[in-house]
Amino acid sequence: MSKRAIMVDIDLCYGCFACEVACKQEHSLPENVNWIRVHKIGPQKVNGKLQMHFYPMQCRHCTRPPCMDACPEHAITQRRDGIVLISEERCIGCLKCAEACPFGAIECHPGTGLAGKCTLCVERIEEGKVPSCVYHCPTGALGFGDPNELMARKQKAVAQEELRNL
Amino acid sequence: MPRKRTDSERAAGSTRIVRTVCDRCHCECGVFVHVRDGRAIKVEGDPHHPINEGSLCPKGLAVLQTVYHPDRILYPMKRTGQRGEGKWQRISWDEALDTVAATFKEVMEKYGPESITWSWGDAASHNTWVSKQAWLTAMNAPNHLHSDAHYCFYPVGIANRATFGEMVTSEGSPDYRNSRCMMLWGGNPVMSHPTAARDIMIGKGKGAKIIVIDPRFTETASKADLWLQVRPGADDALALSMLNVIINEELYDKEFVDTWCSGFEQLRERVQDYPPRWGSEITWVDEEEIIQAARMYATNKPASMHTRMGVCMSTNTVQTIRAISIMLAICGNLDIKGGNVFKRLPQGLRSRREIPDKELALPPEIQDKKIGAQEYPLLSGSPTLVGNFSHPPSVIHTMITGKPYPIKALWACNDLLLCLEGARETKEALMNLDFLVGSDFFMTPTLELCDVILPPATYLEREEPVESLCTVNTISARQKAIDPVGECRNEKDIDFEIIRRMGLKPPAQFQSPEEFNDYSVKGMGVTYEDFKKKGYISEPVQYKKYEEKGFNTPSGKVEIYCSLFEKYGYDPLPFYQENPETPISAPELAKEYPLMLITGGRHVVYFHAAHRQIPWLREIAPEPTLTIHPDTAMHLGIKDGDMVWIEAPKGRGRIKMKAELTEALHPRVVHAPSHWWFPEKKDPTHGCWDSNINAILSNDPPYDPIVGATPLRGCLCRVYKVQKEE
Repeated sequence: MSKRAIMVDIDLCYGCFACEVACKQEHSLPENVNWIRVHKIGPQKVNGKLQMHFYPMQCRHCTRPPCMDACPEHAITQRRDGIVLISEERCIGCLKCAEACPFGAIECHPGTGLAGKCTLCVERIEEGKVPSCVYHCPTGALGFGDPNELMARKQKAVAQEELRNL
Repeated sequence: MPRKRTDSERAAGSTRIVRTVCDRCHCECGVFVHVRDGRAIKVEGDPHHPINEGSLCPKGLAVLQTVYHPDRILYPMKRTGQRGEGKWQRISWDEALDTVAATFKEVMEKYGPESITWSWGDAASHNTWVSKQAWLTAMNAPNHLHSDAHYCFYPVGIANRATFGEMVTSEGSPDYRNSRCMMLWGGNPVMSHPTAARDIMIGKGKGAKIIVIDPRFTETASKADLWLQVRPGADDALALSMLNVIINEELYDKEFVDTWCSGFEQLRERVQDYPPRWGSEITWVDEEEIIQAARMYATNKPASMHTRMGVCMSTNTVQTIRAISIMLAICGNLDIKGGNVFKRLPQGLRSRREIPDKELALPPEIQDKKIGAQEYPLLSGSPTLVGNFSHPPSVIHTMITGKPYPIKALWACNDLLLCLEGARETKEALMNLDFLVGSDFFMTPTLELCDVILPPATYLEREEPVESLCTVNTISARQKAIDPVGECRNEKDIDFEIIRRMGLKPPAQFQSPEEFNDYSVKGMGVTYEDFKKKGYISEPVQYKKYEEKGFNTPSGKVEIYCSLFEKYGYDPLPFYQENPETPISAPELAKEYPLMLITGGRHVVYFHAAHRQIPWLREIAPEPTLTIHPDTAMHLGIKDGDMVWIEAPKGRGRIKMKAELTEALHPRVVHAPSHWWFPEKKDPTHGCWDSNINAILSNDPPYDPIVGATPLRGCLCRVYKVQKEE
């Protein structure tokens, strides 16, 4: 199975937070637990001009996930399609995975005390849908699919933009 | 942790999906509601709906936290203690409706029907406008308190319609997707109208230039090619100097002006008073940027134009938007693909906006009694350009003074204490009423002052045809997904019941919500049941519709020189006028109150005063923050996160907010969000005097002479640190 991933196009993200709430609804998450979080960078002056960017951050389903190595209970597994999942049954809530994650994408659920993170909405994608955050994103800032195809599409858009500006 | 599905959940067919329409803001997006065992369990965007195409904003996605909120009012209630004491008793619908009907009747007999009114402001109430008007009409009651009538849509409505007969610079009409340039003036659609913002990004993806005019560096501004940081309230000066450039550099559409416009030469003469160098001094925008923006808009055709609240809250708002409207017209962007498209709803539809104005209109002699009819005829008079609303600040004053006649009873369907400037006077006005009925989902500061509460249904619990403000050609079918929670009831049903119990005559055309739904769509050749199956109907978009019959103005032309304004004694050409409380108009006051205050920038998770108790939304914007430039803050000894007082002049008082340091604002400007209250505070005021910016804003004159707007974006204030003991 080819790898699928969420790609973030920060040119298109304008910080509407739809992904955060879509994720919470899909996974019944309580307050202050986010499996995707929109980070605001700025406004700040860059070369005398104000800039502001938004960056939705969630589990990257790394090729070699450090969380998996950190877990003493082998509760984290990677499927053949690349999706990294935490087993609720095996997790003991030590949160070593959260410490190991370079993206800060793993959070403790206050109700169960267990680690949780983006599952790429695995149940939705098995039904042929896209993850809820991607589905509800108004601008396409969140894309889902084969990472190589997504990158190629973005490169084409950038090239077109540069052509227009010539 | 992902919630584990139970076996029964996994069983195919156990979940019913209802296609309906959101109402958590004016976008009114298509949604799918997943229902299991009579309970809504999930809401998703409808991928086929033309307004949102599957996307949905946080408000829409969190709606079930409103529907099933533990604090939602589920039963009719009556007050048992003093007004505002917070003591309530559950009563039956029969008792509630009988009490309300009998008391309204008593007030009507004692003081006349003009002493009764209703107030509203959100998208849900938009849909009950018809049945509330039926109630007003049955009583012969002229007053209709659409509480933001004087600045929300109607400065735009009056200015656009007086110029070319259609309202096109608010939502829906700007055809962003097909534009080569977009000018977004005084609004931040990312936060206020997410579907419009999405269209803007689509247009940008196709190469369109974006110009944002805003005192704040907003989310929208962060995507712009050109951002003009205009001084608050100086938009008229900016628009006029841009017109100066467009006309003197001959960048306008000469053919369109020659064929379709009248009064161009007078305008040419008028704008000579407003060269960009002068504009730069007044607006704090560089002369070069003014020229650049004017050229960018005028030479990248088709171009779309949007105006929002930033230009609506000044004492010269109508003339400001007139200048902008004229710019749009003379550049040839009216009703073309990629410009500002005129509305054309499906043929045969009886619009929820037209029924109140046309079919349920009161006779002129009654209309003329409306508060504001004499002073603001184009807003409140008969005929009006926008829909017959009373002038809100004057209604509040009338409630207090009893002049020119008493207003003694109100049906509050919004949170007036938070939604209207001059909140302390609003409180006095409400306390002065003989009878106050409230309809809202939660116990708001305003509802706490009521005598009887009639709890309404959410959109999941009712159905009706929906005309979104964010489209020019689509009507959608809202359909019931679940039975009302508790004893909540469709508001239209409540309205008809009150009409009947007051012994009044309901309209002949429809006497129940179901009859209204059928009546509204009948002309399209369908019943409401048929329409629900279709989900929505879109009329094909056509351009240059004015070529058939001309523009809907007295002359049939674009009236640059406005004959209607001339008739009413207003200046027929746009001009610049300083707001009453600025460093330019009040330099002495500005020494003591050196900062300019702008208010009411939106956050996407809130709609006016709604949603502060919704956990998924509140955590995104947990508290009100005053945004202030770091240099200004340093000068005042304020650090990021400090609590600060914001104090207004002329004894209007002060409120507290947390300081947020940001370069998004000019050092001499601060911004405070509006509508803040704290549902978690259990005393009956729910913290509505702590951080409610409307508590320190004035509802007194001077107003805009045409629409009666107040200058809420650009008055003076001072800011200082809250001391520990305060």
